[in-house]
Amino acid sequence: MNKELLRIEGLKTYFDTWAGIVKAVDGVDIEVIEGETLGLVGESGSGKSVTALSIMRIVPSPGKIIEGKIIYKEENLLEKSEKALREIRGKEIAYIFQDPSTSLNPVLTIADQLLEVILAHQEISKKEALEKAIELLKLVEIPDPDVKIWNYPHQLSGGMKQRIAIARAIASQPNLLLADEPTTNLDVTIQAQILELMQNLRKRLGMAMILITHDMGVVADIADRITVLYAGRVCESADTKTIFYKAKHPYTQALLTAVPSLALRTDKLKVIPGNIPNLIEPPSGCRFHPRCEYAIEKCTEKIPELIEIEPGHKVACFRALEINLESPLGGAKNN
Amino acid sequence: MQKILRELIQEKNKTKGASQWNIAWRRFKKNKTALAGFFIIGIIIFMAAFDSLIAPYGPNTIPGFYSGETRAPPSSKYLFGTDYVGHDVFSQVVYGASSALFVGFAAALIVMLLATVVGVVAGFYGGIVDNILMRITEIFLVIPFLLILLVFLKVITALAPSGGGGLFMVTLMIGIFSWAANARIIRGEVLRVKEQEYIEAATALGATKTRIMIRHILPNVLHVIIVLTTLMIATAILVEAGISFLGFGDPNAITWGQQLQKASEAVKEAWWEGVFPGLFITLLVLGFTLLGNGLRDSLDPRLRE
Repeated sequence: MNKELLRIEGLKTYFDTWAGIVKAVDGVDIEVIEGETLGLVGESGSGKSVTALSIMRIVPSPGKIIEGKIIYKEENLLEKSEKALREIRGKEIAYIFQDPSTSLNPVLTIADQLLEVILAHQEISKKEALEKAIELLKLVEIPDPDVKIWNYPHQLSGGMKQRIAIARAIASQPNLLLADEPTTNLDVTIQAQILELMQNLRKRLGMAMILITHDMGVVADIADRITVLYAGRVCESADTKTIFYKAKHPYTQALLTAVPSLALRTDKLKVIPGNIPNLIEPPSGCRFHPRCEYAIEKCTEKIPELIEIEPGHKVACFRALEINLESPLGGAKNN
Repeated sequence: MQKILRELIQEKNKTKGASQWNIAWRRFKKNKTALAGFFIIGIIIFMAAFDSLIAPYGPNTIPGFYSGETRAPPSSKYLFGTDYVGHDVFSQVVYGASSALFVGFAAALIVMLLATVVGVVAGFYGGIVDNILMRITEIFLVIPFLLILLVFLKVITALAPSGGGGLFMVTLMIGIFSWAANARIIRGEVLRVKEQEYIEAATALGATKTRIMIRHILPNVLHVIIVLTTLMIATAILVEAGISFLGFGDPNAITWGQQLQKASEAVKEAWWEGVFPGLFITLLVLGFTLLGNGLRDSLDPRLRE
């Protein structure tokens, strides 16, 4: 059960822009176990999406994967040829984009878009593929699938389009689903429906999923484990309960405090002071130190390593064990 | 209230199953000037298709020559009058339609094939491929188009024993020398489309580069290609008329440009000799331009009312 599906080691993805080299992802370590949902959390610009795009090796130009390993099923994806990768993209690992109105081709019908993936990875006739496509639409709970399949994307609503995008991603029953903020552009009620659908499909098809989001509420609902990114590095990684109740990294703590919550009954929402740092010349030492209330001199000099402080709970902070953070959710008593 | 509701429902039913082409067609039908262009082109195509039935005299007959009616003014016998050797101008105009259409369509086909291949490949692959293709394109853009065309036609006519390839050679030359501007426009459009997320999504689903180019990029730039094609047809017809007028055309073909040239010797005495072929050149070019503009308005996916 606890078989490792994907392991990223020391991934560095840089963007060589005219302003300088943007170190969007700078030494990220992530593991995904078969069949689990990993929440990848962080502010905008923390490198969540770039990490996911790096797994598929579809980082847009001028982005380049500088070093690191991406081990999928014991094979390093970074050493694979472009041709071998095509066999993995869509078939083994699938990607769901943030905005379904731009990730579906406007001039092709739903049938065209689904058939394209099905026929690319499975050797079946067009007729069988069409039947399969209608099955997929049923699976993602689209009403009248045999009518809707002949529609164009602009004729469907946002939620419906995201369902189509999900159908397209699961068409070849991938083992790993990368969902890049799949509900950010949908309104709240649709959001809940889509998340529930994804969770159900994941369980039914036995897929693992990396859910990228900045919404702590979303990951609380459906993630088994959470990895928190900040400025291109991992801060903390643990199971969901630990992150929410026994977080050891000041940044994780700050993120949780910044979530509006009915349980807290505070008048003012706490925010994290400052912005995410410039990734061309990131702060020395721990990248969070300029915004961290617990920072000491050592934090400005050395980069903290990601250390396993308990089984399955990794933190990259020198003071993780001494500062004894209290969860804003009143964690300790829940244990 | 009821009425508005009913109209809304009707409108909704109309939208059902509407592809981009359906929407475009609906918009096109509302565009009166584009329909006028379509109508003009239809008439001239009809003229070309049934030329021997419409023209009262054969293409190479000179009815006015024997009866001494050269440069005779328009009459019931000669609708548009006769020219300097006694050709019936109306018949000549009718026979000229197929030449004009042939040059227009064939040259535009050559141009658009070249421009699309160059534009799509350069835009999609970018980098060194783009660099090389665009520098070649620029060479074609900076050479004085008409001058080089005339030189080439002259050389080919001189080299070939039978006086060159005639109208086809003229068409081929127009095609070879006018694709560059269109290639640049198509490249620009490809650059825009290839940054769209659905292209990234197609890559993420395991599509090959060729597939992305043909299946995802080409359909998304097709509206530009269609518009450029119609406008190119108009340009090619004008250029051919210009070449013929300057006396570099195919002497064996009946073209409106050549009729203009012959007429230019006697504009004052026999205005009908030039006005009618000139009128038809103008009409046909106007037709394609109106159609092109109308298509641009109705095909642009960004202009959705």
